[in-house]
Amino acid sequence: MKHVDTLIRLLEEHGGPGFEEEVAKIVESAMRTYTSKIERDTLGNLIATVEGQSSGRRPRVLLSAHMDEIALMVSLIDKGGFLRVAQTGGFDPRTLVGQEVVVHGKNKRWHGIIGSKPPHLQAPDEQKKAAPLEDLFIDLAMPEERVRSEIRVGDRVTLHRSVMPLLHHHYSGKSLDNRTSVAVILECLEALKKYHHQADVIAVASVQEEVGVRGATTVGYGQAPDVAIAIDVTFADMPGQASDFSYKIGKGPAIAKGPNIHPKVFQDLSEAAKANNIDYQLELSQGPTGTDGRAFQITREGIATGLVGIAIRYMHTSVETGSYQDIVDCGKVLAEYIAQLTWERVEDYSCY
Amino acid sequence: MLLKKLTEAMGPSGYENEIRNVIRSEVTLSHNHIFTDVLGNLFVQQNQDTQGPHIMIDAHMDEIGLMIVHVEENGLLRFRPIGGIDPRVLVSKPVVIGDSKHFGVIGSKPIHLQKPEERRQPLGWDQLYIDIGASSKEDALSVVQPGDVAVFATTYGEMGERAAKAKSFDDRVGCALLVETMQKEWQLRLSGVFAVQEEVGLRGATAAAYRLKPDIAIALEGTVCFDVVDAPAHNQATQLGKGPALTLQDGLTLPDRRFTEFMIATAEKYNIPWQYRRVKGGSNDYGAIQKAREGVIGGAISVPVRYIHAPAQIISLEDYQAALQLLTAILTEIQEGRWHS
Amino acid sequence: MKNIIKQWSEMVIPAGSEAAHLPSVLATFKDIADSTEIDRLGNGIVRKNGVGPHVALVAHIDEPGIMVNHIEENGFLRFLTIGSLEAKQLIGQHVRFTNQTRGIIGCEMKDANTSLSVDDLYIDLGVDSAEEAYHLAPIGISAVLDVPFAELGEHRLSGRALDNRAGCVAAADAFRQLADEGRQVTLVFSAQSVVGARGAKTAAFALQPDLVLVIDSAPAGDMPKAKRMDLRLGHGPALKIMDGTVITPLRVKNVLQDAAETLGINIQHEVWPGGQSDAGQIHLSQAGLMVGGLSIPTRYTGQLSQVIDVRDVESLVKWAVAAANQWKA
Repeated sequence: MKHVDTLIRLLEEHGGPGFEEEVAKIVESAMRTYTSKIERDTLGNLIATVEGQSSGRRPRVLLSAHMDEIALMVSLIDKGGFLRVAQTGGFDPRTLVGQEVVVHGKNKRWHGIIGSKPPHLQAPDEQKKAAPLEDLFIDLAMPEERVRSEIRVGDRVTLHRSVMPLLHHHYSGKSLDNRTSVAVILECLEALKKYHHQADVIAVASVQEEVGVRGATTVGYGQAPDVAIAIDVTFADMPGQASDFSYKIGKGPAIAKGPNIHPKVFQDLSEAAKANNIDYQLELSQGPTGTDGRAFQITREGIATGLVGIAIRYMHTSVETGSYQDIVDCGKVLAEYIAQLTWERVEDYSCY
Repeated sequence: MLLKKLTEAMGPSGYENEIRNVIRSEVTLSHNHIFTDVLGNLFVQQNQDTQGPHIMIDAHMDEIGLMIVHVEENGLLRFRPIGGIDPRVLVSKPVVIGDSKHFGVIGSKPIHLQKPEERRQPLGWDQLYIDIGASSKEDALSVVQPGDVAVFATTYGEMGERAAKAKSFDDRVGCALLVETMQKEWQLRLSGVFAVQEEVGLRGATAAAYRLKPDIAIALEGTVCFDVVDAPAHNQATQLGKGPALTLQDGLTLPDRRFTEFMIATAEKYNIPWQYRRVKGGSNDYGAIQKAREGVIGGAISVPVRYIHAPAQIISLEDYQAALQLLTAILTEIQEGRWHS
Repeated sequence: MKNIIKQWSEMVIPAGSEAAHLPSVLATFKDIADSTEIDRLGNGIVRKNGVGPHVALVAHIDEPGIMVNHIEENGFLRFLTIGSLEAKQLIGQHVRFTNQTRGIIGCEMKDANTSLSVDDLYIDLGVDSAEEAYHLAPIGISAVLDVPFAELGEHRLSGRALDNRAGCVAAADAFRQLADEGRQVTLVFSAQSVVGARGAKTAAFALQPDLVLVIDSAPAGDMPKAKRMDLRLGHGPALKIMDGTVITPLRVKNVLQDAAETLGINIQHEVWPGGQSDAGQIHLSQAGLMVGGLSIPTRYTGQLSQVIDVRDVESLVKWAVAAANQWKA
């Protein structure tokens, strides 16, 4: 549990699609513990390489965790200085009503509240309806003139939420999707220190996943790894959810299987878990997944793709909840997989 | 019988092992160089050192299917679709599951027990189960695991007048055309690709086209045919028995007009029947190949398939033969230097 | 500039038919270009070698239209749409085919309550047999909706395909200025944009410039009860902050903002969540390309006839040139 403090800093920092800069700084300083070879690409993906050791050809394994969070963008400054917003990523507008937010202005961050009409003033049929995003507005509690001088159309809005520790090393807050996976990579690199591994590990904090796996598309092309493993959160169980979208918190990482996943990468990951007595859960998918892995698999001539992640509840809200123990276990599975990986095995990934 | 062998083999997207092995055994010949890539695409190449245009011919070997995702306490299996399946065609259809090919049937509540308004409602995924005869969850798990895949149990058979029925003519009919083409020895720089994962987003062809950098590409497809009673002429995507279909436009391509006209001229020259694919919906692997790298000239040759994506599909064997003649004629014309880009 | 925009807007270039029309367009750059070509997707590419970072100006030249898919025995044509056009927009409209044949769209007799689809429409060419029709408009030929051009008020233009021929005119102008200044610059008239930025994808892959400026239309929201968009005609071109395909990189956004400030021109900010443009495919090409969007505020995008303010276009040209010049490799 070496990186708990880093995770908390990551969760409380702000960075939506296309403005991941402040988050990237925290990731970079944490990665410096493991390597000095760190770069950024055109889209802003942070790429940290930990080299392997081998006299022969070294396999190149890319681990990717997207660091962007879902966010909003100012689309109009309305009468009275109230801000109208558009989505960059998929919020359920019902979770936004009454939410405290941070508006990233020209010169500084402003505190705002997403307003709601008091129930006293609503007609009975109005009370039965959920307001669409178009009807919501952000109140900065400033005169219109001042709002117009400080805020421009296109400025970003993120959720305001401090991390809350819950029982059993569970944490709740915003952007566990997907900064818990950044912590997975850090825990993986930590666990990997005790091994002489052949593989080069390319640790990526990717950008713009929430608007269509854009960072993964270019970093996969630019790095051209032999294996790419996306690390992303999945759904924890809740009443009323289908059985195959209900993973358990605290029961270890979900390892994905399906058309998007290389069958032998799945096999090697699950065997790494079994061999080291780490609990894992089987996550099934029937087509391209909503993760960086969707892009990796068909980048260039194709990349052997894997997908792992921890289960969280209340995804895409400000109270996402997950377990740090799952993060550690997920990191360990990845480390054990990487420690075993040889060039011969990677070559075998193309033999069907 | 090639079409029987190919259509009866199993191969939902991402799970193409069986069909790939069947195809590989058909094209393993001294004039072919064969390899697979990391996605599982099967490449069959001839004359890669020859001058002249590099031609890629694609047929996808995957088919739509089902994946078992959960076993209920009573031993019934819950499943989800791989690729585009209309759940309304599933009720009362038999399937085969997994490598061991266990039989199962997709059941539903008997009509006697349904309320009148229920009978008019299509059944959704949540109301459908596969029954393998298991007495309990443990019993079912002894032969089937979550993650196993299933396909329709339909067998190949000839019927009517020069027609045939089977599952997965989409796109085993294209695979059969490509197998027959690669069994011949050409004087062309030719790459046959049996692609994976077309049904879940043209994924195999995307990577294959990037690798090959072809100058010309032709996708061989089984395409939608709806020439049945009640369909007006301009809504009939294709018509059974009128020959292979050439694309006007589809969901992903406005194919290069010059190449389409070259294919039409070739069909006319060799007296091969052909038709246009008249609708805009749907797509095939050429949609991905066209946009690979700097772009690729080409198009698709499609065999009309009635009831595509349903358990029992129909093709005309005359259309199949005409499609093979057209592909052969086009390759011959290119081989003799009569295509100028 | 009004006249040039008029000429360009009257070209008949439905998506997929670019290659036939481009030779005459590209010929007009003979005096200044080092080379011109039409690539496999139908993009028109004009190159000028020079100094500095390689800047590409991209403007899509295609427009929505229709394509013949069936000829009835009595000479009526049936058709598919190219791009997103709805049946109710088309009834009673004239069409002009790429071979200049003209016709008018009719509709089958329908109950007032049934929803209308393109399958219910047909084109009347004024002939009585399939054979005559086939000679005028064979299956596979495309057409555009033939709406006349008009000047409105002092500064405004209305007409077909102003989205994005006004952008093409602006891009061509900016290209000429940059080429005159000796800059390394490429002009791309991108193909098949209205069906999903298909040409931009392959052109970007081939060219890999240091900076790409995409010039296109963005919807204005200054009409009665318009959909929410904070863009007004005549208040300057718009800096694309985001659309459905791209979030403009901060570095490009800053350079565009600085360039506008240095020039002292007004710009607006475009936030268009559902918008489609070439910018996304370009941004994600290979390992990623720097891309910026410069948009002409346009009323009635997606309709058969659009309205723009020519002052926004003039301003955009200056802005594009200044931004290209400020870009450091």
